[in-house]
Amino acid sequence: MDETGRKVGIAGLFDDADALLRAAEKVRAAGFRRWDCHTPYPVHGLDEAMGLEESPIPYVSLVSGFAGAGAALWMQWWMSAVDYPVRIGGKPLFSWPAFVPIAFVFFVLFAALGTMASLFILARLGRWHSPLHDSGIMAEVTSHRFAVVLQADDAIFDEQTAAEILRSAGCEDIRPLYEREEEGGQAR
Amino acid sequence: MREDASHAPNAAEPAHPADPDPSADPAPSADARRTAAFAPGPAGKWISLALIALGAVLSLCAVWRKDDSVRLAFAYLWGFSFVWTLVAGSLFFVALHHATRAVWSVVVRRVAELFAAPAPLVAILAVPLFCFSLAPQRFSIYPWADPATVRGDHVLEGKALYLNPGFFIARGVLFVAVWALFSRFFVGRSLRQDRGEAGEEATIQMRRWSPAFLLLFALTVTFASFDWLMSLEPHWFSTIYGVYVFSGMVPAALGAITLAAIWLRRQGRLGDGVVTRHHLYNLGALQFAFACFWAYIAFSQFLLIWYGNLPEETIYFIRRAENGWLGISLALVALRFAAPFFLLLSRRAKMDPRILAIASVIGLAGQMLDLYWLIMPAVHGGGPRLSWQEAGPLLLCCGLLILALWRFLGKHSTLAAGDPLFETSRRFRL
Repeated sequence: MDETGRKVGIAGLFDDADALLRAAEKVRAAGFRRWDCHTPYPVHGLDEAMGLEESPIPYVSLVSGFAGAGAALWMQWWMSAVDYPVRIGGKPLFSWPAFVPIAFVFFVLFAALGTMASLFILARLGRWHSPLHDSGIMAEVTSHRFAVVLQADDAIFDEQTAAEILRSAGCEDIRPLYEREEEGGQAR
Repeated sequence: MREDASHAPNAAEPAHPADPDPSADPAPSADARRTAAFAPGPAGKWISLALIALGAVLSLCAVWRKDDSVRLAFAYLWGFSFVWTLVAGSLFFVALHHATRAVWSVVVRRVAELFAAPAPLVAILAVPLFCFSLAPQRFSIYPWADPATVRGDHVLEGKALYLNPGFFIARGVLFVAVWALFSRFFVGRSLRQDRGEAGEEATIQMRRWSPAFLLLFALTVTFASFDWLMSLEPHWFSTIYGVYVFSGMVPAALGAITLAAIWLRRQGRLGDGVVTRHHLYNLGALQFAFACFWAYIAFSQFLLIWYGNLPEETIYFIRRAENGWLGISLALVALRFAAPFFLLLSRRAKMDPRILAIASVIGLAGQMLDLYWLIMPAVHGGGPRLSWQEAGPLLLCCGLLILALWRFLGKHSTLAAGDPLFETSRRFRL
């Protein structure tokens, strides 16, 4: 690990999910705001341990889903009843039951795209670089370990206290995180 | 919600709960044992006896007149179907739990077993159906059972090999026997674990047999729906019919399970903090999913028939769109799909016992309406009718079910605390 550049936070690594949950509760109780957990799979109970608030993504999904269904119905109405009306099987030009399957898949498609787009925006994906990548932690938390990352730009961040909290939760592997300025990424 | 950090969930690891973990504490916790000691009180017994008495009197009154006896037979099918779909749906929930090796549902599985246990009652209640097929003049609900109707009817003559009273009864006996047998298999083993007479091996046995049962369940429910419900209009047919009935029975069973769990929890009969809002969330999520599944299946059936536009098929929906039946059809969509969809959409709603209880009542009411919609247009083509002739058998069947449930509650614990995964299930968090 390259220990040059600006210090942007510390990471505590754990070997099991239970220890991570205990640590998350301690960090939350200490009042940290800018911190996150990294796990190789979804850990039951972590949302609550971290005190995560309700995500706005479901609302985006719902609205984009209905927008998609509406767009699909409007498109089919315009195509088969306005622009190129052909009577099929003696049915009305706007035969809504036939349009429902397409409206349904458009609902799913738009909801999925809306979810993905809002997730990208909220998670600030598209940023090409994060100090975590230099540290080598990502390789570990995507295979078998669990990490709590505390950011230095938190108002109450203090390296000593932060390390103390992690240690009291049973963490034996605490690593500082650095941002190399020349690579240009901005720390959050 | 977790007060004690040492209770941290190891349910978090999806790979592990696959097998009963011997290291997980197999001893039922103290409060789980205590719940078994609660007496359920006499209220349910008196309510059920009152329902049975009222239902029996109304049903007997309807037997005398020929017109009323036909209505009675249809009404009986309605009441009976409500009970058998509830019981079969709950049995499905129990079997699904074992087949998927679910962990979260261990703490609510006894509530599902409570509803799955009265399968022998379903077997007894099916007997009048068999009698209807043997007395087609008096209780003419199955047109194919009357030789005078079949004679000269090309379609019915062709189906006579399958649709005849003898084979109908033989199949019916087979269906109820399969359900009763597997209900005893699953519930019996679970109760033996309560008493410490069986351990992990019972769980493994149930897991081994549950996929076989689910196959049998699919076949028996499909053919029971064909026999008991679809053959009311024997010229009409739909291959998706069995799935449609299944898609309606599961939300009803989930509604009953959720409602009972919320009620028992409020009574303090589910221990202290054993069934959490995380468990309730999962029940709500299943209700939500099955509301969508019902809509998908119901629309699939409608769309193909509407598109094909063949008179022999469309008659089914025309009958349900005319003479006042359109309102019932639209109410069905509102009650079975729209209401639960919007009610249970948010995460908060699925965790709120009050909203879940409302959704559960809607689920049960939806099933009643669905069965009414499936059965009654065959006799009340002139418009939906609902009076004492319809109420009698429904009250009778529901009264008998409540009596059976109450007896079960008086005898057994409300928690499957002997399950090796009980403690792990307790700690389940989303």
